[in-house]
Amino acid sequence: MSKPVAEPPDSGESRWPIRPLHLTLIGLLYLVFSLLWLLGGDRMLILWAGGATPPLLVEMLKDLLVVSAGGILLYLLLRVYGNVVRLRINQVQDLRLARIEEQARRTRDALENRVRERTAELLAINQTLEQQVAARTQVEIALSDSEERFRQLAEHIREVFWVYGIAEERLLYVSPAYEEIWGRPVQSFHERPLDWIEAVHTDDRQRVYAAHLARQQLGRLDEEYRIVRPDGAIRWIRDRGFPVRDEAGYIYRIAGLAEDITAHRLAEDQLRRQQVELAQMARLRLAVELASNLAHELNQPLAAIVAYTQAGLALLRQDQADPRALTGALDAVVHQGLRAGEIIRHLRDLVQKHPDARTALDLNALLRAVVHYAQLELRQANVVLNLELADNLPPVLGDDIQIQLAALYLARNAIEAMQDAGEPRRLTIRTTLQDSGMALVTLADTGHGFSTDTADRLFQPFFSTKPGGMGLGLSVSRSIIESQGGELWATPNPDCGVSFHFILPIYGRRHE
Amino acid sequence: MNESPPTVFLVDDDPAVRDAVGLLLRAGGLTVEGFANAAEFLATDAVRRPGCLVLDVRMPEMSGLDLQKKLRNDGCPMPIIFMTGHGDVPMAIRAMKAGALDFIEKPFSGELLLTRVYEALTIDARDRCRQAQREAAATRLSRLSPREREVLDRVADGQYNKTIAAELDISISTVEIHRRRAMEKLEATSIADLIRTLALANDQAAR
Repeated sequence: MSKPVAEPPDSGESRWPIRPLHLTLIGLLYLVFSLLWLLGGDRMLILWAGGATPPLLVEMLKDLLVVSAGGILLYLLLRVYGNVVRLRINQVQDLRLARIEEQARRTRDALENRVRERTAELLAINQTLEQQVAARTQVEIALSDSEERFRQLAEHIREVFWVYGIAEERLLYVSPAYEEIWGRPVQSFHERPLDWIEAVHTDDRQRVYAAHLARQQLGRLDEEYRIVRPDGAIRWIRDRGFPVRDEAGYIYRIAGLAEDITAHRLAEDQLRRQQVELAQMARLRLAVELASNLAHELNQPLAAIVAYTQAGLALLRQDQADPRALTGALDAVVHQGLRAGEIIRHLRDLVQKHPDARTALDLNALLRAVVHYAQLELRQANVVLNLELADNLPPVLGDDIQIQLAALYLARNAIEAMQDAGEPRRLTIRTTLQDSGMALVTLADTGHGFSTDTADRLFQPFFSTKPGGMGLGLSVSRSIIESQGGELWATPNPDCGVSFHFILPIYGRRHE
Repeated sequence: MNESPPTVFLVDDDPAVRDAVGLLLRAGGLTVEGFANAAEFLATDAVRRPGCLVLDVRMPEMSGLDLQKKLRNDGCPMPIIFMTGHGDVPMAIRAMKAGALDFIEKPFSGELLLTRVYEALTIDARDRCRQAQREAAATRLSRLSPREREVLDRVADGQYNKTIAAELDISISTVEIHRRRAMEKLEATSIADLIRTLALANDQAAR
């Protein structure tokens, strides 16, 4: 006995869960009533069948009424109660539903809130991300700008810029100037990392390779070497490297610059050559001077010979020849002829003994000879000479002609410096033996001296404070003295004028 | 006053050259005195005697050029012939500019030296003669009285006696007397003679 139950469409539970009970109760009531009726049924049936006596019928009706009324009442009660219960149930259910709905709503709201929050969060994150992306882009732009600048710099400087990676054991970057200077493609580095060493001149290769190894240890490099270009041309390179450290302070890269110093080198070589030429020129000048001196020496006996002979001839022609006078003249001619021969022999000895070689020299004697050459100039300039030559000065090692030349230049320079200076004009030439095993020569004048400005340039070629001066004397003198293992320098005197000093190694002592 | 004969003063530090050149000059009939250096020469009275100098350029202490300079500064007109052992052109130029008669290179021919020396002696003699005339003129001029000198200066200027008399405020006859006496004192025989004497005396005064 089941009754169709209206199922709430939206709920799995029975909307009326009490109904079967309710029907069962009513059924039971009817069963009880039926049993009661059966117990008194014959009366009722009689009543029912044959018009029962009214009292009984009334009785029966009354019972039935009572029972029905009771049943109805019960029914009503039950109904009401059922409704009430149902209402209650409904209410409860509604409440529950409402509660569920509420809960659901709340959940939904919460969800929605969370979604909203999350969305906002996401939006914020997105925004941040966007900002970050924007910033990043800017950084990238800046980076690429700086990279561009670096590239422009690296690729347009005449020097080769390179970066060497210690861990990578190869050059990470080489600027394009490499191609121009080395005459080899930069690409070759990636294919053959040792390409560069092959370009180094064979004479320099070992040294450069050693420097390259040292570079990896020290992070530093400063080498000058030659390279041979594929076309066979030789270029001089100055290669310098500097360590690049990571945050921990370890050298992980070496950055460097290699520049083409060929022109510089050539200029230096040319200057050196010029100096040598100048020294040769100066040597020639001294030789001419010596020759002129020699001519004077030779001309004396020659003049005497000619004069004696002509006097003799004159006497003979005049027919008053005193044989004694003639004999005397002829003796004198012989004597003067021998004297001339002596001069020439002496010269030959001098030339053969010192054919441009460094020998033991008596510096004091040499300076006296120089003073002799400068005698005329000293007199003309009205200069008083002080010779303060050290006693027992051991011989020095040097080429006498060269040193004479330098000393003569210095003496002349001193005399010229005093030409316009006031009196007294004094040139002091001093020799001293130094503890260092060098002989020191000082030429002190009382001239104008020099300003600190010109002090640096004194020894530069073509620098002169004298009108008409070539500016070569001091630079040539310095190169001469240095070629003899000495040094030449100048100091201002405390009162007035300048002192030029040069040192020369003592003969027979070891010098570096 | 020129008692000593013209002499060649030879200054050279080389004794052989001194001896040889001396012999050569003597063979040429000249009187020669030799000196080893400039100081030795200056120590004598040679400077004042007639003659000429034969000088070596390169000598210790005082060179030939220095001696030439000193003599010129002292007003000595003695002609100088330089001898040099090496042909130094700038030095020769300096010597010639300072009035040297010649600059000859050793070794030289005896003839050249002799020619130059004779030339030098002639010049010296002429110079000395002129000097003597100048000195004589100056001496004679100094004998005049101031008035005579005033008159004579005007006569030399070509003024007439009349003008001179008016200018000096004296009579013409007085002018004539002064003029005659002055002419006598100057040993002048004509106006031209008088003017020459005056010029010589002026030259001397200018020295």
